[in-house]
Amino acid sequence: MDYRDTPEEAEFRASLRAWLAENIPAGWDKIEDRDEAARMQRAWHRTLYEAGYIGMSWPKEYGGRSLSPMYEAILNEEAGNLNAPRLPSVGYIGRAVFTYGSEEQKKRFLPPLLSGEAQWCQGFSEPEAGSDLASLRTLARLDGDHYVVNGQKMWTSGGQYADWCLLLARTDPDVPKHKGISAFLVSMREPGVTVRPIVLASGEAETCEVFWDDVRIPVAQRLGAPGEGWRIAMTTVAYERGPADIGFIASYRHTLRRVERLAAERGLLERPETRKKLAAAYVRGEVLRLNCMEQLSLRVSGREPGPEGSVAKLLWADAEQSLQHLAMDILGADCMTGAAGEWLGSYFTSRPVSVYGGSAQIQKNIIARMLGLPR
Amino acid sequence: MLALLDAEQQMLKEVAGQIARAAEVANPGDLKTRDRAAAWESLAQAGLLGLRVRDEEGRPSASGVEVAVVAEALGAGLVPVPYLGSAVLATELLALAGAGPEAEELAAGGKRAGILLNRDLSAPARLPGDEQGYAWDCDGAAEALALVEAPGGAQVVRVPLDGAFTPVAGADLTRSLARYDAPIDPSGLTRAGRPLTEAELARWEALALAALCADTVGVMRSAVTKAVEYAKERIQYGVPIGSFQAVQHMCAEAYVSAEAAASATGYAAWAVDVLEPGEALTAARTAKAQCGAVAREVTETVMQIFGGIGQTYEHIAHVHTRRALTDRQVLGDEDAQLLRIADVRLTGE
Ligand SMILES: Cc1cc2nc3c(=O)[nH]c(=O)nc-3n(C[C@H](O)[C@H](O)[C@H](O)COP(=O)(O)OP(=O)(O)OC[C@H]3O[C@@H](n4cnc5c(N)ncnc54)[C@H](O)[C@@H]3O)c2cc1C
Repeated sequence: MDYRDTPEEAEFRASLRAWLAENIPAGWDKIEDRDEAARMQRAWHRTLYEAGYIGMSWPKEYGGRSLSPMYEAILNEEAGNLNAPRLPSVGYIGRAVFTYGSEEQKKRFLPPLLSGEAQWCQGFSEPEAGSDLASLRTLARLDGDHYVVNGQKMWTSGGQYADWCLLLARTDPDVPKHKGISAFLVSMREPGVTVRPIVLASGEAETCEVFWDDVRIPVAQRLGAPGEGWRIAMTTVAYERGPADIGFIASYRHTLRRVERLAAERGLLERPETRKKLAAAYVRGEVLRLNCMEQLSLRVSGREPGPEGSVAKLLWADAEQSLQHLAMDILGADCMTGAAGEWLGSYFTSRPVSVYGGSAQIQKNIIARMLGLPR
Repeated sequence: MLALLDAEQQMLKEVAGQIARAAEVANPGDLKTRDRAAAWESLAQAGLLGLRVRDEEGRPSASGVEVAVVAEALGAGLVPVPYLGSAVLATELLALAGAGPEAEELAAGGKRAGILLNRDLSAPARLPGDEQGYAWDCDGAAEALALVEAPGGAQVVRVPLDGAFTPVAGADLTRSLARYDAPIDPSGLTRAGRPLTEAELARWEALALAALCADTVGVMRSAVTKAVEYAKERIQYGVPIGSFQAVQHMCAEAYVSAEAAASATGYAAWAVDVLEPGEALTAARTAKAQCGAVAREVTETVMQIFGGIGQTYEHIAHVHTRRALTDRQVLGDEDAQLLRIADVRLTGE
């Protein structure tokens, strides 16, 4: 056990830091317009890609560098420390494609995914299939060398900016529900795809409803075997769940610094309760970080992510939501009067963390099962 | 002793409930379409805007309990009218100051007044000291009330809501807020009635807090009711989500917190006109401490029970959260109340 960087990691970290200091787009966090923010995000993806920072843990033959996932963790950490824009999350889609894809699919889809040329979204949930994802009803009917897709997806995050979608649809309604689902790689530009943004309580439209009307998908764009969709979805969700993968820890630290500054500006740093609460927020962040390091280390030693991801997801939701509570309490009335309205927005943005990627209740169910409790 | 509404109060509850249901904001879209003027008119016609107007002997026409009954009903419906601002906080201030005709004008419904609060919403604005602040719950009002230090107590003054005030988009989507950023021009102020004594101000604060609590209780109870209904209807894994113990416990916890807040609020509302002002105020602070402490958690739990849909702007859940969080701040959150309760209990202040 050694929590320090290896010499190679330390070297990587130092050169990365220097690179970030030069390349973080100036003023990116002042952009208010959502479309402009999306353009900035694409350009940032491209910049990272060209410098070789995207998909570092992927196999070389698919455009990666075959490095250990530790390097991605370092990237996440440093990007957060230096207040870089959000890092693109190619991990979970990429994982699905290179685990289950045909050689041809890998060649076709992985390079543009890495480079950021193609943005992806995840079309799993439906109005009637949230926690119970396996009950999804969107139908893909085989018609010669195409599937014809009909149905409605809900909560397709980033759907309004995406070029491609990892879509789950039912290909066999006659077998048990987990067995009749297949996964598809579909262009969002296909005729019959209609995207309607959903505005969240924060006022931001970060997720979408997507309607699929007679959308034709070539059979060659089915990922994996017919009926393999459930397994693919579970792999994806397991990779998506880790807060380390999405740079959460770094952005948490960054937010904590801002909250500490708020407290200082308001002259609250002398109050023992405030000091304790700020310190407790730091502790929650550290606990989460250390838990993630442990998970990551398991992964480096070859373990697939499993139910322990639920532990991190619960710690993550709790850390983020508690931090937003603390910010709100430090701001007091300013959070309600619009004087610090942006914090009310981030407060509402923290609420669905305990809903998406499997709700807090579902994560606890998973852990209870892992513990072998009687059902 | 009977900690329950009597028959007449029950009737009032039904009347208020009917008015509230007619003007209810059942989804955020209703905020644009509700006929707020008609809702105000029905409240005036039913006499509910005049509950605190005094008779010849100086007695209010109804007690704090009736005020709380109406406030809870309007809170439950998220009704976008300035009942607390105009009919409770402003009217009571005028009535206590002996400005009878002005109070009656508000009770008739033709005219409205808001209340001026300090910058952190924790107390009525004191002029000229509070150089920044907010007119709260001042929808349709041309003026708001504030206090000016005067010989013999705090003088109520009417502040015109003119160009010095900028409407702001606060958290609460159902009640309005206007900000002032510079010292208010003293030449524009009009006095109302005579200065208020400490005891009268305490009485006012007790009523104001009790009414705010009743509003919060309404907001919480109706939110919990909606979540429970949803848990019975929403099917996942082939069964209603309400059959999962995790969801049952979320519903039960939210319910317990809301009911506890309601118990404390009932007593506070009764105490306003019956107990000594200091005791009434402690009862009100007790209720506000409880309401403030649970408002966020209850409304968040409700959002969680609704899952993804409860996170969207078009869903009603966040409108509950926003109103409850605002109630929590107005006239002091739970921390402010606890400190004052500690002063009374521990230092005898
Ligand atoms: C902002 C946001 C972004 C999202 N992004 C995506 C995306 O990009 N792609 C995608 O496919 N999906 C996405 N989702 C969907 C998300 O995964 C679902 O919202 C989530 O799985 C919950 O489903 P639901 O909303 O239908 O709630 P429900 O499943 O209806 O849950 C309602 C309540 O019941 C509880 N519950 C349900 N079943 C059980 C049980 N068995 N035991 C105990 N409690 C239970 C839940 O915890 C919740 O509190 C997103 C959601 C949000 C809000």
